[in-house]
Amino acid sequence: MSATAKAVGAALPRAEVREKVEGRAQYIADLYRPGMLHGAVLGSPHAHARIKRYDTSEALAVPGVHAVLTGDDFGDHRMGAFVKDEHAIAKGKVRYVGEPVAAVAAETEAAAKLAARLVSVEYEELPAILSPEAALAPDAAIIHEDVASYFKVFDTGSTANVCSRTSLTEGDAAAWDRCDVIVEGRFATQPQAHVSLEPCGALAEPDATGRVTLWSANQSVFRVQANVSESLGLPMAQLRCLTPRVGAGFGNKMEPHIQPIAVKLALATGRPVKLILTREEDFEIVRARHPFKLRVRTGALKDGTLVAREVEVLLDGGAYADDSPGVLGYSLFMSPGPYRFRYMKASGTLVYTNKLRFGAFRGFGNPQVSFAGEQQIDEIAARLGLDPLAVREKSMLRPGDKWFGGAEVGSNGLEECIARVKAASGWAKRAELEPSAPGRKRAMAAACTAHISGLLATGAIVRMLEDGSIVLNTGAVDIGQGSDTALTQICAEALKVPIERVRLASPDTDGSPYNWGTTASRVTYTTGRAVVAAALEVEKQIKQHASEMLECDAADLELRPGGRVGIVGVPDKAVSFFEVSARAHWARGGPIIGHNSLVFEKPSVDPKRAIAVGLPFPQIGAFAFGALVVDIEIDETTGKIEVKRAWSAADVGRAINPLAVEGQLEGAFVQGMGLALNEEMVWDGPRLANPTLMDYKVPTTLDSPHEIHSIIVEAPEPDGPFGAKGVGEIGINVVPAAIANAAAIALGKRFNALPLTPERVLRAMLGK
Amino acid sequence: MTLALSINGRIRQVQAGLSDTLLTVLRDQLLLTAAKRGCNQGVCGACTVLIDGRPQRACLSLAANCEGAAITTLEGLQRDASMARLQKAFAATGAVQCGFCTPGVLVSAHALLSHNADPRTDEIRAGLSGNLCRCSGYRKIVDAVAEAAKEAKP
Amino acid sequence: MSVPGFHRPKSVEDAARLLAETDGARCLSGGATLVAMMNASLAEPKAIVSLAGIPELAGIAELANGGFRIGAMTRHAATAGDARLAGTLAVLRDAARQIANPVVRNMGTIGGSIGFADPAADYPPALVAANAEVEIANAAGRRRVAARDFFVDWYTTACGPGEFVTGVYLPPPRPGAGLYKKLARVSGDFAIASVALSAAKDANGVSIRIAVGGCGPRPIRADAADALLSAKFGDAAAAAAAGEALAAAADPVDDVRASAEYRRLVIPRLVAETVAHARAALEAR
Repeated sequence: MSATAKAVGAALPRAEVREKVEGRAQYIADLYRPGMLHGAVLGSPHAHARIKRYDTSEALAVPGVHAVLTGDDFGDHRMGAFVKDEHAIAKGKVRYVGEPVAAVAAETEAAAKLAARLVSVEYEELPAILSPEAALAPDAAIIHEDVASYFKVFDTGSTANVCSRTSLTEGDAAAWDRCDVIVEGRFATQPQAHVSLEPCGALAEPDATGRVTLWSANQSVFRVQANVSESLGLPMAQLRCLTPRVGAGFGNKMEPHIQPIAVKLALATGRPVKLILTREEDFEIVRARHPFKLRVRTGALKDGTLVAREVEVLLDGGAYADDSPGVLGYSLFMSPGPYRFRYMKASGTLVYTNKLRFGAFRGFGNPQVSFAGEQQIDEIAARLGLDPLAVREKSMLRPGDKWFGGAEVGSNGLEECIARVKAASGWAKRAELEPSAPGRKRAMAAACTAHISGLLATGAIVRMLEDGSIVLNTGAVDIGQGSDTALTQICAEALKVPIERVRLASPDTDGSPYNWGTTASRVTYTTGRAVVAAALEVEKQIKQHASEMLECDAADLELRPGGRVGIVGVPDKAVSFFEVSARAHWARGGPIIGHNSLVFEKPSVDPKRAIAVGLPFPQIGAFAFGALVVDIEIDETTGKIEVKRAWSAADVGRAINPLAVEGQLEGAFVQGMGLALNEEMVWDGPRLANPTLMDYKVPTTLDSPHEIHSIIVEAPEPDGPFGAKGVGEIGINVVPAAIANAAAIALGKRFNALPLTPERVLRAMLGK
Repeated sequence: MTLALSINGRIRQVQAGLSDTLLTVLRDQLLLTAAKRGCNQGVCGACTVLIDGRPQRACLSLAANCEGAAITTLEGLQRDASMARLQKAFAATGAVQCGFCTPGVLVSAHALLSHNADPRTDEIRAGLSGNLCRCSGYRKIVDAVAEAAKEAKP
Repeated sequence: MSVPGFHRPKSVEDAARLLAETDGARCLSGGATLVAMMNASLAEPKAIVSLAGIPELAGIAELANGGFRIGAMTRHAATAGDARLAGTLAVLRDAARQIANPVVRNMGTIGGSIGFADPAADYPPALVAANAEVEIANAAGRRRVAARDFFVDWYTTACGPGEFVTGVYLPPPRPGAGLYKKLARVSGDFAIASVALSAAKDANGVSIRIAVGGCGPRPIRADAADALLSAKFGDAAAAAAAGEALAAAADPVDDVRASAEYRRLVIPRLVAETVAHARAALEAR
């Protein structure tokens, strides 16, 4: 890149791409330490049981075994993002099949796995609660006897198997009386597995003082530190957490997996211990997308104007709360979609069941509520004989409109998103589309969405080294989505230096500023803001030096492309960053370091407009918008749906790196297509029936349309870095809804449950 | 027990038991970690390597059964001109996100181009259908292979 | 032999002897099934007899009668790419082309696949429709079993203890068409349901063999279906009746791919479509 080219907006290759295409990138399983042992876990065979006793003698007799740990070896410390309800390893009880009950460290992976299987655990079985309805039955077995006393971030009265409740209401329910058309339905969505190609893993190494260095696959090195600290009762400062390259996350690496167990094994043996989950364990014990049960009702005037909506959610959180209270609250918060309603009420109940924990997964509840809400808008349009996108345009949030509950919406490019997908897809001529072959039905349909980017705390440190090159340290984990590149571009742009002059430090809890995590589509937006602010600090210091060096007022100075600072209007009066930094290091003032930290502070709810109970995110984020059109075909022989083409538009504020933005939209589309058409974790009684990639199928190249057209819309966010907002999740939200809308047009049948398998579609076609 | 395996053009002595796979030996003994363990069931494709010139799953290949075979991993293709074009195209088109699938995808793509220098889009899609990617939605991967093929033309 | 328990004999006879003599020995073909099971701790063989070193098991040979012998170690890719498997035998190529994905097709072998006898796999119904025979070896010698009798039950074949598949014999190809239709959740998955059909056409008329995969403990066939289709190949009602006969003969179960009920529903529909495509293929000749 030339010195004068702009860094922001450039479709640059990934900063770390070379090591990735050469196979040199090191993921957690690629790390080896001298004297390293291998860990393995034993999973519970029961969904719900009391642990009576352990016998570890056979396991300890396996050659090469150094430690066998059970719940008895762990103190009574609990962790949890919203509710502190989870031990590092099962203690006293097991609450889902596969829950780790024992852990082994041994010389080889094979010995560790063999020994883990030889740990004998005596259980007293308890009734397994396998659905949220069963959890709410009056005589249901109680999964967490002590739920009332657990520490909670917010407490809405947890009793029996109810973990939390949330409700949000705005407007006057009398609005229902004005509706000319009301549609109502019950909807159900299925659990989806993340299937990050890299299974979860950790490597913990203790030093002589008992301090532990912990590498792990994660989305937040600081959440790792917090969770290990809480669940093992260790001071945070006793842990140094690091992140190698991460083989994708999508939410499943945001909160803990087996990091606490790896640390405990390392402390017990005094040796480095690497514990990498098998694919089966990754399915069975990490986390998955929540299955939703929804009741949704939407009303409109006969001209299509949306008026009122009520959403009621029953959420299965699985055995531990994890991020479930957040998912419930967020899904309700997003349940109107990007539309004006005169009355909006959303409420939900989160319950414990004896399944693995359900937690964060790209979209964070939004795809599930959108599946219902966006279908109801199409239903209304169909009843009224209106163009479904025209109905959306009529009631869409416009610039200046606030979100449900009263949150300020800074920028809003929804109108352009809709206009662009319409133009690109040939929306006006959609009725003329012909099937590609006899025996197939074809249809085009749309859906719209919004998503936040934001939440919580973040920081950035920009350091100028002696030679004037820059090291940026944010603590943000790049899980493959490209934030390292985007943040580097932001920093380079802010300081007007070539991108090659900026390098990003790897996340390290010892040296990086706090970053809540790579989640909530937040890194580009929140961390980018901190980078810009920290770079501004550096700029101020550069100018201070330069003003002394050039004997002028700092206010008369400007940064010039290529790492120079000079006097405005005087081209030959300038000094280089090298000269400035050398002076700072060796003569005046000390090294140039700029830093910034922030927490997202704008309120989610205006108490004068709305009543919120148990809303988990009081300060949530900036809003991005999106529109999607899909063109599908249905095989009339089998009912199988094929997506032929898709147009996904997203208002990202400003595309820091358009290539990476497109990558997010394309990847999110295919992941959403898997959710829409096929993917489902299936339980056979208490046991997951398909915890392998043989049985749980994700789309391949041949199942994914090549024609996924990404459309970037830029409505600059006032406080975003160069106007940017997030893009990580928005592309997945309405994929199931848009596909279901197309199926409804093709077949004249509505689908209230996911996935739209050939079976579900053919049965609907045949009325069977 | 000691086995002599031909890996990236060199004979390497490794220790292997009956159930040890080529993947385990490559990674844990030779520290050739480009091939990844994504599923250990032959489904995901992250462990794809060339065995006697054909892309195969290292996780489904018993090390003991690989004696006498010529094994090539991504590490062994660093000086290969076709691989260099693929690597360049993958970087330039944004075909790499998390990168965990990338080594396996590159090995499959390399094999595809070695017997079909000018593949159509549908041939690329078919040729890569044994390599799962959860990040990209595949479009940019397919485009990158097409770009590398174009680049190879005189 | 540098790894204890690992054997790589040079002849079928040696392999059969090793399997008979060695306690807990398993036969290794391409590895796509056995090694996957070992990795999942579902198989823990005490000894392994690799068939990779036996020259006669590799490749497809034309026989004196115009038929073919596919060696047990022939990779799916080789079968899929062999243009000699034409006419009625194209059903086998068509099935081989749809197994898993290109990389697994470079590893997996016909012997390993049918020896495992997953009824949702692609070869079993195709071999039945091709009227193939399976050659089985044991320490005493070899025998041949018709494909329709080879597949006995879920994951169970006519192979007894110490026996293994050495090859598949195909009758001479007849002019006509052979095709394999698979319904799967995603590309390369095992079948929810599949239909294999061979249609021989000569001056005397049409002769059809049809079998359904993924819908019971072994490939589903029905004499009535073959007879109906052979008698009235151009007739939609006959195709429908044949489909119903096959659906009635099916014995599907609910699994993670689909329900038994759906399979019964979809069999006649897939059969009708396959028959229509075969008819078009015959007309196009």
